[in-house]
Amino acid sequence: MLGFIHKMAKALAVAGGIVLLLIVIVTCSSVMGRGLNTLGNSDFVEAYLPFLESLLKFFGPINGDYELVEAGTAVAIFMFLPWCQLSRGHASVELFTSLLPAKPNRFLALLWEIVFSLVIILITWRIYEGMISKLRNGETSFLLQMPIWWPYAICTFTACIASIVSMMSVWLHAKDLGSVEAIGDPVEETTR
Amino acid sequence: MTDLQIGIFSIPFLLFLIFLRMPIGLAMLVVGLGGTAWVTGGSLVVLAKLKTETYSTFSSHSLSIVPLFLLMGQFATVGGMSTALFKAAESWLGHRKGGVAMAAVGACAGFGSICGSSLATAATMGQVAMPELKRYGYSGGLSTATLAAGGTLGILIPPSVVLVIYAILTEQNIAKLFLAAFIPGFLAALGYMITISLYMRFSPGNAQVRERVPYRERMKAMWDVWPVLIVFLMVVGGIYTGLFTPTEAAAIGAAGTGLIALANKGLTKRNFQDSILKTANNTAMIFIIILGASFFNSFLALTQVPQEISSFVITQGFNPWTVLIIILGIYLVFGCVMDSLSMILLTIPIFFPIISNLDFGLTAEETAIWFGILVLIVVEVGLITPPVGMNLFVINAMDRKTRIIDTYKAVMPFIASDIVRTAILVAFPGITLFLMRWFY
Repeated sequence: MLGFIHKMAKALAVAGGIVLLLIVIVTCSSVMGRGLNTLGNSDFVEAYLPFLESLLKFFGPINGDYELVEAGTAVAIFMFLPWCQLSRGHASVELFTSLLPAKPNRFLALLWEIVFSLVIILITWRIYEGMISKLRNGETSFLLQMPIWWPYAICTFTACIASIVSMMSVWLHAKDLGSVEAIGDPVEETTR
Repeated sequence: MTDLQIGIFSIPFLLFLIFLRMPIGLAMLVVGLGGTAWVTGGSLVVLAKLKTETYSTFSSHSLSIVPLFLLMGQFATVGGMSTALFKAAESWLGHRKGGVAMAAVGACAGFGSICGSSLATAATMGQVAMPELKRYGYSGGLSTATLAAGGTLGILIPPSVVLVIYAILTEQNIAKLFLAAFIPGFLAALGYMITISLYMRFSPGNAQVRERVPYRERMKAMWDVWPVLIVFLMVVGGIYTGLFTPTEAAAIGAAGTGLIALANKGLTKRNFQDSILKTANNTAMIFIIILGASFFNSFLALTQVPQEISSFVITQGFNPWTVLIIILGIYLVFGCVMDSLSMILLTIPIFFPIISNLDFGLTAEETAIWFGILVLIVVEVGLITPPVGMNLFVINAMDRKTRIIDTYKAVMPFIASDIVRTAILVAFPGITLFLMRWFY
């Protein structure tokens, strides 16, 4: 079970990374298209390379690239959340608690994990409500006319997974409370 | 309690939670939500806000630059350019006294121009430079301290994730901020090299000097870093000339370092997955802090705390320079325990209104940009101040033979160099603003 959740969070994070790569590709293509189009409209091409003009003008920026980037970023971040929590990657200040013995430290870790979990569940519930209202009012994006509830739906789905993972993480911390060894280190080293 | 009192008391309460090791973003989120509910007298406003606020924060176009810059930095770390940069720097500086350490600083500066994060810079250059430093007999303390300090150049020299966040918070132009960061970044590298030179003079170890490299070979070594130069020019040049927006530049940069890594066969399946997972981890961490800060700050704004504090400072007629120095001092102290991004998100909404209402003989925009660079520098000092400077830990962990206490001792001259540089930049705003004034 634990291994499955861990794998799922990892797979979700990698999927989010692929969404990020798609954003990179869309943005780069859009910039290149815009550049070629500008070149096609330039005086230089008109004067010296007229045969290239129509070809260059064929290219252009991708319609609604901004909207795709925005929706994609939100989706990617939601996909990253479970992995970050599972690998205990959230920033905190450890100086003062390091003076405390291990037991209270583990207790604090468990307490914050419970609070975190509750907040994630709250966010999941609210974003679901947000999706429902976007579905009802039929709001679409400006250029692509893409229904806003689509990205909301993906985010709601990944937020559900984040909720499950966060409850799992509470359970892991509760197990830590009883164990004798030092508190669990982050699964993977983080770079900030 | 009045709203203002609730707002003021929420700040020590928030710090208390943070010092009890509550994740910083979570603490801001909880206090922000709780405080808003208290002030508005019920959960209605909070619940309504939560429906759209999370998505709209995560889908903000200006913030989408953050994961892209992080991805760019991660690809850069596996791209194999760190070796080429270090070799090039070594061929120019290696024959001087302390030259290999200076070369490490120079290479960090070069790497900083394609990577916007300090820890990634320190860790990547550490892998390349540490064995060389050891081979030429540099002490463990100096080697680790040099690399930890050099790593801070990663965030000082554009592109820089922290500057992007500052720009968004204070509604400043990213291009101008990046431009303003150049001279201070260059001075930082120079300052660290002078520090190394002085260090070698006053505590002569048995560090050897490399033989002088002929100019032809130096040029050849320089030639090998051309991919770094191209990516840097595309990203930073593109932003300055207005050819693309900062977000587009970040996407192009990520593609650029990705292609370099691919060409150098650095992008194995394992490395690729690692880069993605680290990007995922950092992105999620940063955005939780951003989300928390956005709730906390809108709560503070509701209670009028920033306006009240700002008008209090103005009506008291304090000397602007004293106020500035106190604020920078607060950053220096907090930097010892907190990471730079959390600190900026937490404090800028309170400090920025104060600073922007004080008269330093600069225009409003110049003040904002100058202050941003100063804050960036002092929070980065926090990365190398004992006891919890993150860079110190990362680098010290690479070298098992060096005790952390030796790293602490050796890093002190570097911190001194940082403080001298900050003092110079505070005293002469023109140094920071020179490029920006000249360019625009």
